[in-house]
Amino acid sequence: MPQNTYRKRRLGLLWEIVSYFVLFFGALVILMPFAWMFSTSFGTAETAFSLPPRWIPNFFNTKSYRQLLEAVPFFRYMWNSFKVAALITVGQLVTCSTAAYAFARIRFRGRDPIFLLLLSSMMIPIQVTVIPLFILVRRVGLYNTHASLILPVVISAFGVFLLRQFFLTIPAELEEAARIDGASHFVIYFRIILPLSGPALSTLAVLCFLYFWNELFRPLIFINSIEKYTIPLGLVMLRGQYDVGSPTRTMAAVTLAIIPAVVIFILAQRYLVEGIAITGLKE
Amino acid sequence: MSYSERVLRKKENVTGYLFILPTLIGFLSFVFGPMVAAVILSFFSWDLFTPPKFVGLGNYRALLGDEHLLSVYKNTLILVGGVVSLEIIGGLIVAVLIEQRILRSLKYFLRTTYFFPYVISATAVALVWHLLLNPDLGVVNYYLSKIGIDRINWLFSTQWARFSIILVETWKNIGFYIVIFLAGLQNIPRQLYEAAEVDGANRVQQFFYLTLPLLSPTTFFLIVVGLINAFQIFDMPYVLTRGGPGGATRTVVMYIYETGFRFFNMGYAATVSLSLFVFIAVLTFIQFRMSGRWVFYR
Repeated sequence: MPQNTYRKRRLGLLWEIVSYFVLFFGALVILMPFAWMFSTSFGTAETAFSLPPRWIPNFFNTKSYRQLLEAVPFFRYMWNSFKVAALITVGQLVTCSTAAYAFARIRFRGRDPIFLLLLSSMMIPIQVTVIPLFILVRRVGLYNTHASLILPVVISAFGVFLLRQFFLTIPAELEEAARIDGASHFVIYFRIILPLSGPALSTLAVLCFLYFWNELFRPLIFINSIEKYTIPLGLVMLRGQYDVGSPTRTMAAVTLAIIPAVVIFILAQRYLVEGIAITGLKE
Repeated sequence: MSYSERVLRKKENVTGYLFILPTLIGFLSFVFGPMVAAVILSFFSWDLFTPPKFVGLGNYRALLGDEHLLSVYKNTLILVGGVVSLEIIGGLIVAVLIEQRILRSLKYFLRTTYFFPYVISATAVALVWHLLLNPDLGVVNYYLSKIGIDRINWLFSTQWARFSIILVETWKNIGFYIVIFLAGLQNIPRQLYEAAEVDGANRVQQFFYLTLPLLSPTTFFLIVVGLINAFQIFDMPYVLTRGGPGGATRTVVMYIYETGFRFFNMGYAATVSLSLFVFIAVLTFIQFRMSGRWVFYR
């Protein structure tokens, strides 16, 4: 039936064209807002809303960036966000990796119930704990400090889970020789498991850093003075109470604000994507 | 058990607890402790400045008669329903289309592009889209007018404002769904499709009778996680529409935030937050109970 095959092939080609069109149109919709943001950040108040929009940025016009840096301590915000996110990340890497090692390699009493309890805590919405935490933070005098953002989250059930799953895939034979030689758990954790876990640790680090770099809810509650603002808080406040903030200035701020995320995305995309894919495969 | 074995066992126990000590202390003081405190708080009326007053079940009774609560739950349900279904269906379609492409570099490029907005903060995303969706000066309406679609009042009419939140939230998160769906698709053995082709199944049949059932564990995971996250939606409506117009996009979490941290009604805010927790927990439980009917594990 040659005619049938012919029809089938033509249908295949049509399908091919349609799916390419859908995929590339989607990709365009994803990228377009970033292009507009970037080009508008180099615009003037007059051109900000010009239609059709300008897609080519005029790099010589950096007025909105200068205005932004004069109006608010934006680099300060960036430093604050970096400090907060980096310290949380370091903290989580330490606490999660030790706990994950214990759950994967040490047989201690109550291990499995504790692990389950830890996992189930992932279902508790942050809004439930944030109210008592706010009261606690005020009581101990940490209100409006970065410590109030950092301390409560240097632990993570997700991080423990992610690293434990990875540690379980490391063959136990690797440690056997060390154990026969009388090496302690700490030595095995530090000398054998950690050096083999670069990818998993990187995944956790990247996910954790980005999450707290982008976080708005807790800073909105725990921080109230400008010099302590983190980036998302600074962005929200910049727009002003009644949307009076200049659009070009806001776009300049957004452009600066997302640079670190973009850099991390480019450098560590593999860890990000693979880490997320792995969490999805654990049913 | 010999003496030396017992000593060894005890040493394992001590070491184990030492390793989990930081996590344990953290969880007791920053998750489980506050959780218990929230329950206790829900029986009190407290504005932080005067001493807390025991009100028994007063906050829970107020919960039942609260019209604002009803409306924020309604808004949240609409947003959650829209966001999760759009993310699941859109993510699945794009993932299936990407997976069938032959060129590997193209696959990589598309996955990267779609995933990109996921790493950007909702605040930044909302600020950009706030300008793009401006009804009179925005880029979106400009291009829509080119293809003959009249001015849409994206951010300032009740229905469109909700739709805008759903669209932008989906735009931001869809890459997450695509990446996980792609991982799920790659786990389906090629031979099954070859066998189906030999049996004369066309593309559509293959999708509904092979891909969809074999992908159901992934879909189930994404629905569970997607719903838990969507019910806590805050950043996007807070920045994009500020809960407006007329409270049409005010969500439960925005209500908790306002009650607790604008009006310092700590007891009632805790009660509302617990209602959200119970809501999410029950929903997740029901999903697990129902999953046996449609989720197939190989």
